[in-house]
Amino acid sequence: MIDDFLRAALVMTTPILLTALGGLINRLGGIVNIGLEAMMLAGALVAVEVSAGTDSVALALLAAALAGGAVGAAMSLVVTRLRANEIIVGLGFTVAVAGFVRYLLKTLYGVAGTYAPPGVALLPRFDIPFLDGIPVLGALSHLDALTWGAWALVPLTAFALHRTRWGLRLRATGSSEATVRAVGLAPLSIRDVSTTIAGALAGLAGAHLSIGVVGLFNEGITGGRGFIALAAFYFGRESPWRTALGALLFGFFEAAQIRLQGHGLPADIVQTLPYVIVIIVLTGLGIADRARARTS
Amino acid sequence: MTLAPILTAAAPFALALAIGAAVLAATGHEPFSVYRLMVEEAFGGERRLAATLTAATPLLLTGLAAAVAFRAGVFNVGVEGCFYLGGLVAAVVGYQFGDWPAALLIPAGLMLALAVGAAWMALPGALRVRLGVDEVVTTLMLNFIAIGLTSWLVNGPLLARGSANSATPPIAASAELARLLPPTSLNAGFLISLALVIAYGFWGRLTVGGFRSRLVGLNARFSGAVGLAPGRVVFGAMIVSGAIGGLAGGIHALGLVHRFVAGFSPGYGFTGIAIALLARNSALGVALAAVLFGALTSAGANIQLFSDVPIEIVQILQGAVMIFAVAQFGLRRRSAA
Repeated sequence: MIDDFLRAALVMTTPILLTALGGLINRLGGIVNIGLEAMMLAGALVAVEVSAGTDSVALALLAAALAGGAVGAAMSLVVTRLRANEIIVGLGFTVAVAGFVRYLLKTLYGVAGTYAPPGVALLPRFDIPFLDGIPVLGALSHLDALTWGAWALVPLTAFALHRTRWGLRLRATGSSEATVRAVGLAPLSIRDVSTTIAGALAGLAGAHLSIGVVGLFNEGITGGRGFIALAAFYFGRESPWRTALGALLFGFFEAAQIRLQGHGLPADIVQTLPYVIVIIVLTGLGIADRARARTS
Repeated sequence: MTLAPILTAAAPFALALAIGAAVLAATGHEPFSVYRLMVEEAFGGERRLAATLTAATPLLLTGLAAAVAFRAGVFNVGVEGCFYLGGLVAAVVGYQFGDWPAALLIPAGLMLALAVGAAWMALPGALRVRLGVDEVVTTLMLNFIAIGLTSWLVNGPLLARGSANSATPPIAASAELARLLPPTSLNAGFLISLALVIAYGFWGRLTVGGFRSRLVGLNARFSGAVGLAPGRVVFGAMIVSGAIGGLAGGIHALGLVHRFVAGFSPGYGFTGIAIALLARNSALGVALAAVLFGALTSAGANIQLFSDVPIEIVQILQGAVMIFAVAQFGLRRRSAA
């Protein structure tokens, strides 16, 4: 019983975790990405289409990452090259891509809302037979490939950010653009790359939603997870591990909320918890900053 | 001097239309005939014009709410949440106290909507001024909280008895705002909204408060140095912005929807941001941009009826305008940053 719940929580964490890691990388590079929801949506639609068309999960994932990355790159170029406010551009992309996706569903497939082509290949799951039946650890069996991949990305991201030249350049771009320019690097291009990576990861997250369990696309499939991911990386500040913890927390919320439906806890209220947590975390950070400023 | 602002406002719109044209052409539609049909559907004849102005009513106020905040340099993206809360509160007053006379009921509903919007922005305003917490993220998060909260209320405690969808009972007839041009749904809310936008124009140009808020928006440190209290101005702008957002929701509930339903706003608060940015916070600009976006909305609904172009083309156009409204094409001199 507990295994089923934990597994559900882990599976629900995956799209948030992937997107939040992308958002974290993007934010360290100097852009707060409000358009993650749009990139996720693009990835989810493309994954279903390619998976049904080619019967190949690998191709579907690749296509979803490319689609999300393309939306990310487009958004980044407007922000970096046309010096546009990233928040508004992000909101604009959220609105425009949601409209575009629905427009496509109506004109190309003649459906409103849900698109379920036949023969969608789903993400493979890995059975770990000797874990079955062991309490808690049993949850690790039957998990899909992207969930394992997402968690593998956490130490990888931490390593890349703090132990590689690329990570140093990225962090420098976010904290001191002028310095990066002075040593002869192109901060805007570095920033574009970080947004493209964020978009690709969000696209994969979208694929997890559409071809992870059910194999269909719905216009509301992302359900605000792009913004929950934003909450997770704000919670995580600069650390991939803390970000993962935040994503896990929200994944647990989601799984618990589904379990608790009909037990008196209203879903609408529980769903707002991630957002409440962000405000609390930001307030805490603000108080800490103020205290530090006073003592120094 | 007179041409530059028009150019900077027209460029995003032209680019958005170009993107929309590309989408239409790629999906086998003739862009120009679609656009012509949209213009006819938005402005051709009294009824269509009334529909456009009805659609512009909430946008006048959400645009104004955003402009009031942006002008003082606060990036309030929380108007959407205020709109939901204001709408809910006004609707509840409208059906709970249905036996009150209209002269009492309507002001009570609208004032409460205004108050709840203002109160909702007190927290992010205080956090920004006291602790330096970025208001963009807090107000964005508060939107989702307001939407969840109102959705819970209309699904449970305030759900109309015997109603399957998430909605409050309809408001009393005495709470409904007067219709200006029956049978169209254009109502007194449009006049209230327009009057407020005009008042904002005068306030911004002619009063000390308006000057002060612009100064703080342009340079908070300088205005602090010359003895203004930027914190107070910023907090005030946040509260007024929230109040206008709440009022917008109240007017929408009493004027058009006549109840509160889940999904009350299709993003009016966010469209308001685009409007304020396109208008560069000017009153005239807000009025024009609101009518333009209202025209898009009302035309979009009709072209879906009369042609096979999905209504979502409007959403694509609105999103594109938002994106390009903040892009700088080198028409303006680069700020010394």
